[in-house]
Amino acid sequence: MTNRRSLERSAILGPLFGSALREWILLSLLTMEESYPRELAQETGYTLRAVQKQLAGLEEGGVVFSRLRGRTRLYSLNPRYVFRRELEALLRRALDAMPVEERERFYTPRLRPRKPGKPLRT
Amino acid sequence: MKLSRLTTEELAAVVGDELERRGLTAVLTGGACVMVYAEGKYVSHDLDFVVTPSDRLGEVEDALAGLGFRAEGRMFVHPEIEMAVDVGNIPPVSVGREILQPPAPRVVSGRKLRMLSPTDCVKDRLAAFYFWHDRQALEQALLVCLAQPVNIREVGRWSRAEGMEERYREFQRELGRRRRS
Repeated sequence: MTNRRSLERSAILGPLFGSALREWILLSLLTMEESYPRELAQETGYTLRAVQKQLAGLEEGGVVFSRLRGRTRLYSLNPRYVFRRELEALLRRALDAMPVEERERFYTPRLRPRKPGKPLRT
Repeated sequence: MKLSRLTTEELAAVVGDELERRGLTAVLTGGACVMVYAEGKYVSHDLDFVVTPSDRLGEVEDALAGLGFRAEGRMFVHPEIEMAVDVGNIPPVSVGREILQPPAPRVVSGRKLRMLSPTDCVKDRLAAFYFWHDRQALEQALLVCLAQPVNIREVGRWSRAEGMEERYREFQRELGRRRRS
């Protein structure tokens, strides 16, 4: 888990996106392909409400899209977004510019397979 | 003017013309274009407009209030009609990666309406089929192709540029099958 302060310190595109949280969400959706608000909130230390607000703004602009799976609303980068390729290229450049240990946080599988009933250790 | 008596195309023209009169550019996109082009074989409940410049969206509310619509979330609803107006779509008008210039207005019952051409409407629906795996959108694209002159070669060029050659072939196979039946 990343805490909010370290996330804000390591934001590379934050000035461009206007928010370190928004940058984290987009980078997470790029690397994880999909995620849900509670997971993103847990990862960042931001409130669920703050994450939902960012996702709502991104969805309104067509940058991300969501679909229901069971009772969970899953978000992904929108493949129909007109600047999708440019956005992905920019996000990949940002990942490349990060120190290795910071970059690895985005590639750590969070939804790893787990037998039912087995406690999750982080 | 009784909005409930108008066709979808006429209603869209009333809304589009009212926005254009205020110096806004409003382009009808989405399922309502399918409804117009498919000549009654598809029903949409939204009029999706892309309005520019986007920093003047506040004026849209005034314009639509003058026609009897009231804001409900991002939609505008009218007490006499089922169709809602959505002006919350972010510019530019685009199909997949391709940015479109606003089409020239056509005149519908004396009012100006900008809307996607049948070919761009098919691309728009296919984008939903290609990227969101939306089979209903494929059906809509086919309905437009069967009812309107569509530049299929251009649809093929665009599909390849989007990296969707295989799905385009699926669309072509289905279109051929429908045309034969």
